[in-house]
Amino acid sequence: MPYEMIALLMFGGMMILLLTGQRVFAVIGFVASVAALALWGGGGSALPFTSAIKLMNWYPMLTLPMFVWMGYVMSESRMADDLYRMFHVWFGPVPGGLAIGTILLMVLISAMNGLSVAGLAIGATIALPELLKRGYDKRMVTGIIQGGSSLGILVPPSVVLVLYSMIARQPVGHLWLAGVVPGLMMAGLFILYVVVRCRINPALGPALPAEDRTVPAAEKLRLLSAGLLPVGIFAAMMGPFVYGWTSLVEASVVGAVVATLAALVRGRLTRKVFDTCMVQTLAVSCMFMWIILAALAFGAVFDGLGAVRAIEGLFLRDMGLSPWTILILMQLSFLIMGMFLDDTAMLVIVAPLYVPLVAKLDLGMAPGDALIWYGILYTITCQIAYITPPFGYNLFLMRAMAPDHVTLADIYRSITPIVLLMLLTLVIVMMFPQIALWLPHLVYAR
Amino acid sequence: MPRVLILYVRWVEALNYRIGRLAMYLLFVLGGVLLWSIIAKAFFRPSLWTQEMAQFTMVGYFVLGGAYALQLGANVRMDLLYSRWSLRRRAMVDAVTVLAMIFFLSVVLYGGIDSTLYALEIGERSRTVWRPYMAPIKIIICTGVFLMILQSVAFLIRDIALLRGEKI
Amino acid sequence: QGAPIRWRMQTYAGAALGEHVVKPAIDMFNEIADGQMQIELYYADQIVPTSELFRAMQSGTIDAVQSDDDSMASPTEVTVFGGYFPFASRYSLDVPVLFNQYGLKQIWEEEYAKVGVQHISAGAWDPCHFATKDPIRSLKDLEGKRVFTFPTAGRFLAQFGVVPVQLPWEDIQVALQTGELDGIAWSGITEDYTVGWADVTKYFLTNNISGAWIGHFFANQAKWDAVPERLKTLMKVCFEQSHYYRQWWYWGGEADLRVNGPKLELTSIPDAEWATVEEKARLFWDEIAAESETKAKVVEIFKTYNAVMDKAGRPYRYG
Ligand SMILES: NC(=[NH2+])NCCC[C@H](N)C(=O)O
Ligand code: NA
Ligand code: NA
Repeated sequence: MPYEMIALLMFGGMMILLLTGQRVFAVIGFVASVAALALWGGGGSALPFTSAIKLMNWYPMLTLPMFVWMGYVMSESRMADDLYRMFHVWFGPVPGGLAIGTILLMVLISAMNGLSVAGLAIGATIALPELLKRGYDKRMVTGIIQGGSSLGILVPPSVVLVLYSMIARQPVGHLWLAGVVPGLMMAGLFILYVVVRCRINPALGPALPAEDRTVPAAEKLRLLSAGLLPVGIFAAMMGPFVYGWTSLVEASVVGAVVATLAALVRGRLTRKVFDTCMVQTLAVSCMFMWIILAALAFGAVFDGLGAVRAIEGLFLRDMGLSPWTILILMQLSFLIMGMFLDDTAMLVIVAPLYVPLVAKLDLGMAPGDALIWYGILYTITCQIAYITPPFGYNLFLMRAMAPDHVTLADIYRSITPIVLLMLLTLVIVMMFPQIALWLPHLVYAR
Repeated sequence: MPRVLILYVRWVEALNYRIGRLAMYLLFVLGGVLLWSIIAKAFFRPSLWTQEMAQFTMVGYFVLGGAYALQLGANVRMDLLYSRWSLRRRAMVDAVTVLAMIFFLSVVLYGGIDSTLYALEIGERSRTVWRPYMAPIKIIICTGVFLMILQSVAFLIRDIALLRGEKI
Repeated sequence: QGAPIRWRMQTYAGAALGEHVVKPAIDMFNEIADGQMQIELYYADQIVPTSELFRAMQSGTIDAVQSDDDSMASPTEVTVFGGYFPFASRYSLDVPVLFNQYGLKQIWEEEYAKVGVQHISAGAWDPCHFATKDPIRSLKDLEGKRVFTFPTAGRFLAQFGVVPVQLPWEDIQVALQTGELDGIAWSGITEDYTVGWADVTKYFLTNNISGAWIGHFFANQAKWDAVPERLKTLMKVCFEQSHYYRQWWYWGGEADLRVNGPKLELTSIPDAEWATVEEKARLFWDEIAAESETKAKVVEIFKTYNAVMDKAGRPYRYG
């Protein structure tokens, strides 16, 4: 069978089966297994299992449950409440201020967890009800919570970047640092967006009424200290790692332990909270691992059947495209796949194709730099994938957690401006790679 | 539904729940092993076994916890259409597509059993200096996957029951 | 002329290294085979993880493999000798001599026949040196260093306080950067430069624990048997060609990069001190020889060979 045909069958089959709503990992694994049995020619049946061993050997994956755990400890123990109050008190008086505070809250939470689910949980349960009570526009705020929480994968620590680092063979430290400035920039754009909209129409984000504003200065200062906690956890984890005293995996454990201790000391780690964190961490880790395992099998079969070569030939030879066109096409394909597919699955499946290609493209920078920068571009497309229908993690969660009068239609509409801002970030970072590369170069300058 | 099937569902789900709840605590084993690795490296000599032990633990965590995670509904679906369907409709489609999951898991299991037998036969050991036997972790993977298959079959039975208007 | 035969071959090497150690030979084979047979080359862990490589070849998931016996954990009596068996050889030419003139080839063929695998040919690679982030100037400096190395070399080096670590080959560079590793004892300097390890380590120890790696081409027995004689011969010739390529590529590279390479600073452990490592290696040989008859036979061959070389004197051995 021609390679093009195999590629088409495998991808097409996967897309169609996904539409049936069967579990994503099962669909990917099923297509991989069928292709292996039908087309490999002897021994193909071993591939799904060997993917489990491959996954086991991926040492940095050990960080996954740690970073997930950290996030849940933050959200379930409601340690973010004080944080939220801090922003509330400090930004409340400004029109749109609570929304701005929420974005900043999302940034801080992003610095303490590797995914975005915990951020979304905090946003949807703590910030959202408060914002709605204060008369904030529901579409604007559900949008920024979804968008803001997705910063969890761009601002370090980031599980997505850990996975990317393993696949692209680039150091996680560089990748994480590369995500910092684009992440802050994106947050800045969100804030700008809120400010502009509230300037135009103050009714979207009314300032706090006078009686709510009179908070004693001492209390204001005390609340400011709430912000120290995340900064402290972040520093305890990232500092030693960036300086090379702890390895990546060790850093994740340090982060998990410090976050747990913080919750314990504050007396927030009740039995119930503890149990929820345990169950959620298991659930999210299992979901992740099984999708990766299935995607690894899919990737190995796809590659072994020669389909990767077919597509590579298409990109490099047959179409004679310029490096930038190829790059843009890749991003477009990520955006489209991201609408329908889990981000890790799309990475594991297409990376064997894209990563070597990016390293080969003549983009006017060292291959290592190109791959780090590309990792950030990829992560931003993942953020978009998280909030775009039909398949978006943050969308799912928002749907499950939003108060009743925020309808599904509201949620879907809320994301349009956010997606546009993310695309804008993507374009800016594409045009100016230094935005991503500046910080890692600075810190890791030899 | 035949009583055996109902009993099967109850038993399998109870079993998977318990195993999953136990596997959940492997998170602490993992944390402990890694903490020890940090301590040993800082104060003594880097230890020979922590890396692999951590990897084994991690695999045990998500494989033995796999069936419980299925019960929790942790495994996402693309719900473009799915979310709009009635429960009945979902059960109908699931009853067919769950076979895809069972098929995939069975292929994993098949490869796993082959690899486990091989490991037992030659006394396969890891290539590290610690040289742990590889059969135990392979057996754990097979067990976890088998439990997930049992759970998938339980889902199938539930769906059929729902279609027949019965409750389990 | 029937349908073309298609093989999948996976090598232990990552893409950057494979570019030299195997790809030229495979390209040559495919070109000459002219559509009658096509070998598709896959790099480290690309289809199956290296730890499963042997089994995958045995059961036909992969048709052929390039690796040493040690890293792919072949279930044979000769596995410990693959890769770097401490101080077994001094120069890369020692390897083909041992296999073709001293009988190792026959032993390997027999051992692999027992497990259903065709041993096609053995070749030499580079010597085994340390490249590290901190300088090694005495044996004491080795203590507590987490080092990526071969299983058997690791077992040997552990007695000097080295902490051997196994990771997927392609992850080594990053592991050095993220602090998972302090160094590697895996290759000579040519490879350090070729695969990027020289970018993430600072020092190169000129003492080596083996002068030449032993590695092979293998094939699944049934698949091999199904190949027409002419193509088998062609394959053997092309693989020999790859062994030859490595002879000069490494030999020239090692000298050139020590002298002209800009990235690694050379350090040495004094000969007298290093002699204790060599002594320990003899004990290690005896330990291995005691494990089985076949192993004893191989060790005996190493001893005989090295004795001849010592007696022959310069340029074979210098004191
Ligand atoms: N996994 C292996 N067999 N590695 C062999 C490495 C030996 C030699 N330094 C090389 O890389 O070429
Ligand atoms: Na983060
Ligand atoms: Na999406």
